[in-house]
Amino acid sequence: MNADIARLAARTLLGQRRTLLVVLLALVPVLVATVFRLAAGADADPGLFTARDLLAGLVVTTVLPLVTLIFATGAFGQDIEDGTIVYLLATPVPRREMVLTRVLVAWAAALVVLLPSTLLAGAIAIESADPAIVLGFLVGVAAGAFIYTAAFTWLSIATGRALVAGLLYVFLWEGTLSGLFSGIRFLSIRQYTNGIAGAFFDLPGDAWSPRLGPGTAFLLAALAAAFLLSLAVRRLERWQLGESA
Amino acid sequence: MSPPAPPAIELRGVSRWYGNVVAVNDVSFEVGPGVTGLLGPNGAGKSTILHMAAGFLRPSAGEVRILGEPAWRNPGIYRRLGLVPEREAVYGFLTGRQFVELAARLHRLPDPGAAAARAIARVDMAAAADRPCGGYSKGMKQRIKIAAALVHDPQVLILDEPFNGADPRQRLHLMDLLRRMAAEGRTILYSSHILEEVERLADTVLVMVAGRLAASGDYRQIRALMTDRPHAFTVRSSDDRALAGRLLAEPAITGIAFEDGHLEVRATALLAAARALPVAAREAGVTLYEVRPTDESLERVFAYLVRR
Amino acid sequence: MPGPDARAGAIYDLGYRAYDGPRLGRAAAVLALYTFTLRGAFGIGRRTSAKVVPVTVTAFAYIPAIVQLGIAALLGSRIEIIAPWNYLGYSEVPVALFCAGVAPEIFGRDLRYRTLSLYFSRALQRTDYALAKTAAFVTALAVLTLGPLLLLAIGNGLASDDLPGYLADHWRELPQSLAAGLTIAFVAGCGSLAIAAHTPRRAYATVGVAAWFLITLPLAGILVAIGGEIGRFAAWFSPFDLLYGTALAIFGRTPGADSIQGRADLPLGTYPLLAAAHAAVAALLILRRFRQVQA
Repeated sequence: MNADIARLAARTLLGQRRTLLVVLLALVPVLVATVFRLAAGADADPGLFTARDLLAGLVVTTVLPLVTLIFATGAFGQDIEDGTIVYLLATPVPRREMVLTRVLVAWAAALVVLLPSTLLAGAIAIESADPAIVLGFLVGVAAGAFIYTAAFTWLSIATGRALVAGLLYVFLWEGTLSGLFSGIRFLSIRQYTNGIAGAFFDLPGDAWSPRLGPGTAFLLAALAAAFLLSLAVRRLERWQLGESA
Repeated sequence: MSPPAPPAIELRGVSRWYGNVVAVNDVSFEVGPGVTGLLGPNGAGKSTILHMAAGFLRPSAGEVRILGEPAWRNPGIYRRLGLVPEREAVYGFLTGRQFVELAARLHRLPDPGAAAARAIARVDMAAAADRPCGGYSKGMKQRIKIAAALVHDPQVLILDEPFNGADPRQRLHLMDLLRRMAAEGRTILYSSHILEEVERLADTVLVMVAGRLAASGDYRQIRALMTDRPHAFTVRSSDDRALAGRLLAEPAITGIAFEDGHLEVRATALLAAARALPVAAREAGVTLYEVRPTDESLERVFAYLVRR
Repeated sequence: MPGPDARAGAIYDLGYRAYDGPRLGRAAAVLALYTFTLRGAFGIGRRTSAKVVPVTVTAFAYIPAIVQLGIAALLGSRIEIIAPWNYLGYSEVPVALFCAGVAPEIFGRDLRYRTLSLYFSRALQRTDYALAKTAAFVTALAVLTLGPLLLLAIGNGLASDDLPGYLADHWRELPQSLAAGLTIAFVAGCGSLAIAAHTPRRAYATVGVAAWFLITLPLAGILVAIGGEIGRFAAWFSPFDLLYGTALAIFGRTPGADSIQGRADLPLGTYPLLAAAHAAVAALLILRRFRQVQA
């Protein structure tokens, strides 16, 4: 962790208009939860709705990856696009420290947006159902956000088109393909998130259950985080000027 | 004798290719203290050389060393190396002082504030240091970038096209700054495609043409080595005709032309001609008023190397 | 090259001369810009890294059609899982990603590097520029939205045992596929370009388009699932649900009970109307942008 790089990364992220977009994104689940409270029929199951539709269906599939994608690609991507990365790299600061700092800052920024959004949306929709559902997804989202941030940080160092590459991963790999090939659940940050969240609650019957057990999900998540971070460090150590300009 | 210190910048058999385009082709040179200009037309491979020297590009073949250490994947060299990149982008939201101080902190200097103030004073930016960089002119951005590269007092300074976008006055100021730093024993390597900038500043010239090192050294030395091209002198004397008659007998002199008010003398070898001229003048009883090489400017040298 | 006396100063005739022959004019300029943009959309004539995204995404848009034809060919009989009217349900993600990845490139470079003035100083006018670029992107998108439908129509015909009989039963699918594929390309293309035209930064355009197409999908799904009087109208405001409804209307199919359109239970005829309105607003936004933007 390097305080100067952290401060710089925070200013880069805050100074961007995309931060506004992120806040709008985070408001979407809250709005949906409000509509649910106002308009749902008497037969609606708030526990199932909160877990399956609102948190697993909307927050984990879309809001979580998009928010982390925007913040994580903003941290290094902006610097590389502008060429200012040179001022950081032309110093003896260890590359591991740079990557770790930026990942932590982008993660923190994502959490500041995601956790209140998840908590608020969950609290509005949950009514009398088990509040552990919301707690589970808070933990799951926090863990998932870290892995997504590590993955997208690596992408933003490795390619100039990190945003599109990230979208392909999220919507094609985790969305379309994992629906067809169930083995992909072992290589899907979305399923790690759901698996970790699932450790905290049980829904009656088979209404909704995560596709990975909590132990597997946690283990794979930890491995993925370590692997992606080391990839990012490796890529930054070998970063060459003029590659992605 | 103690073992000689490693050269500040050393390239040994360095090539760099992108796909099947060769940007730098088997280049070897050493750069020591003083100002060295890397000269060449656009696309000659100057930036590629500088990026490799600064550790921001891996050579496809060969070896690049800074003060004896490998440049590639060795962040430790930045303790003794400063780089001023060509792109003018700076963190627009930081003030000049914050920008230089950030560099000082990243270098873990004991007193970043004082180091930044010193570097800013060197580039004469103290008056504008507390304004955001985003509003700087091109020349100011260039200077604040130099201040950031200087803040840790590096032994080696690499600048990519440092005079781009600077107006004539800033250009003079920058040249003066680089000259002073060289006088302190630093090694300064900078690139330019403008001859005048190299001729007026550099002690040593490296000429790149189409990815290859075409010549290196003092440009007058380079000129002396160009034996297949006659040297030309402008000579004014008390009696041009008598001098010309006498000079024609000298084997080193290949041709003489009468111009209005002076002689154009062509010779195969610089030194022989320089020796023959005063002798001939004395023998002919002629007083020499002026002897001046006609085409010794860097521009002529460069044009020669590029066309060869 | 210098003449006899280089020092006297001379200007050499290098043989440059002004062109005073016939010029191809505006139509040719528009056509040239159209072709150039269309090739650029797939990265043709660009470096390899520019081809990766469009080619991958295009491949994914064709996979369902190929899978369906494979099934039809292997099993011999017509088992129709993936049909022209529900094709968008399988290809919406690749289509949306094509828009998010490629639409920012269409205007982005010209806006970012301020090269518009180079175009407008030629025979090309501002409207021509916007229309040529939009038409090229819609054409590129049609490769993903119309291409697989045509492939399905032709392939199903060839796989059937009785081609004349098949044609008699199914000839309508060809014009319907044309209409549906082109409508989808037109609406999604204009919509994403309208977003992309308003920012020079590629990142914002990509995120904007992705948010507009991909957030609205699960959002509309949830809102319609909640039901009630508010929720069901969400099917109108998610571009891909709107287009799915439009395709159903064009093919004259009723939505499945489980689909968003089925649950929203809005009149099917409203989808094409709203899709047209969506495209019209988007096209106007693009034209207005290029009438005003500083060249």
